[in-house]
Amino acid sequence: MLELRDVDVFIDASQILRKVTLSAGESEAICLVGRNGAGKTTTLRTIMGYRRPAAGTITFKGEAIGGLPTHAIAARGIGFAPEDSGVFADLSVAENIEIATWTRPGGRPAAERLALAYEIFPRLRGYAARGGAQLSGGERKMLSIARALALDPDLLVLDEPFEGLSPAIIPLIGESISAITRLGRTIVIAESNIHHVPAWTRRLYVIERGEIIFAGTLDEAHRDRAVLRVIGGRAS
Amino acid sequence: MIARVAGAAAMLALLLAPVLASPYQLTLLLPAFAYAIALLGLNLLFGTTGLLSFGHALFVALGAYTAAWLTTRAGVLALEAIVLAAAALAAVIALPVGLLCVRYVKISFGMLTLAFGMLFYSFLYKFYLVTGGDEGIRVLRPRLLGQTFAGLDKVGFLTGPFYYYALALLVLAALVMRRIVRSPFGLSLRAIRENPDKAAFVGVSVRRYRFYAFMIAAVFGAVGGALLAVPTGLADPQLAYWTHSGNLVFMLLLGGFHHFLGPVVGAVVFIFLQDAVMSLTAYWRFVFGALLAVVVIFFPGGLLGLLARERPA
Repeated sequence: MLELRDVDVFIDASQILRKVTLSAGESEAICLVGRNGAGKTTTLRTIMGYRRPAAGTITFKGEAIGGLPTHAIAARGIGFAPEDSGVFADLSVAENIEIATWTRPGGRPAAERLALAYEIFPRLRGYAARGGAQLSGGERKMLSIARALALDPDLLVLDEPFEGLSPAIIPLIGESISAITRLGRTIVIAESNIHHVPAWTRRLYVIERGEIIFAGTLDEAHRDRAVLRVIGGRAS
Repeated sequence: MIARVAGAAAMLALLLAPVLASPYQLTLLLPAFAYAIALLGLNLLFGTTGLLSFGHALFVALGAYTAAWLTTRAGVLALEAIVLAAAALAAVIALPVGLLCVRYVKISFGMLTLAFGMLFYSFLYKFYLVTGGDEGIRVLRPRLLGQTFAGLDKVGFLTGPFYYYALALLVLAALVMRRIVRSPFGLSLRAIRENPDKAAFVGVSVRRYRFYAFMIAAVFGAVGGALLAVPTGLADPQLAYWTHSGNLVFMLLLGGFHHFLGPVVGAVVFIFLQDAVMSLTAYWRFVFGALLAVVVIFFPGGLLGLLARERPA
């Protein structure tokens, strides 16, 4: 479904990503774990076309997407929920979700896509008429993922969906994301806290200083000393 | 609810104005209607998409010169044909101009539109054979829906049939613009205004949509310009001068660019205010400059921003 091979990314003169290689197969959920500043967000933003790889290839459904404009990448079926949620404050909750059904017509009918988004995040249904600015942090995260889902994507890219949320709401969002994987959608999650990595994650990539230093299952990661030294134990 | 009643009352007043108001007030409403149409377009660009054009007068002038050229030089007097020709010509000109301008945002976009506006001004000023130079071109009385209204004098024609024609065109323009603003396309434009980066990953092709908004704004500008030229009776290069573009932006700020009808209110109030202040003092520009400062500092939402607390699309 998605494959990055030896991707190098520079921001100004400094190299942020070094030969990043990772892949997510069909209906697979993978997680990219690393500390703040390790390159998680840059990796995801490069997938979304905000950064152009200086070297390496990015393929989605067998086609190269490296260097395409962001909207074209979205149109191919990659739904993105950024770290800051990217909710439009001037639009209502309903409009925030609906916009994705208009920008990418075709595929499943809009009504079905909206119904699915509300089914996964039932809490949003009650807020449909609210403005995007009148939401809590957790609700914004939900809305962001619901909107990505309404794009009817084959791949969802979620940047730290649990970041900054109260412990009470984390399981709620985790359950919703797990429900999305059961729909057969491929998911790539970036996460800074290994304890937040959902148990159903098929494969884990650990990134440190722009390099992938580990690829394997969650269990293997827990047994790997180098990995634990980098991301284990710290933060709750 | 209140807004709806106020809107209905305003509409009724405009419909009855030819009976109630003096011919002088009516002739002031005519340019206001024309500007309102042009501003509906400009506001799609500014209020909805977040791009501030300082060269929108280019398209108003283009519409006015289309009316002048067609009536005086080509003998085309049907106003319907003139309006359609103005719209088509605006689309043709806006195609290259828009493609270039929408590559830039914020001040660069504003300056580039300003540059194109002044370029057109120079063209109108210098190409005497085509444009009549600084004298401009006269605009002859057009036919409305095939009628010449030969029995009416100029004032009778303008304050009677033409008044209703302009009002109908304004209502039509407002309905069309409302459809546009409330469509998925309009929603995407609002998303772009708020944050183009976010809009892109939701799948909005930012540059293309900005370009569409530019084209629509240009067409509305030219239709307004064609309508403006009829009561004036003349198309001259001042129409394309940058201060005219500035006036358009002023009207928008005055009416309130967050509100759908802000452009209409802004155009009407501006015209009447300008008339009132000009009759009082020769230093009306000074008064207007001060007024603009007051609006921007104390009432950034414009007149409709004062009335409506919330901010509808």
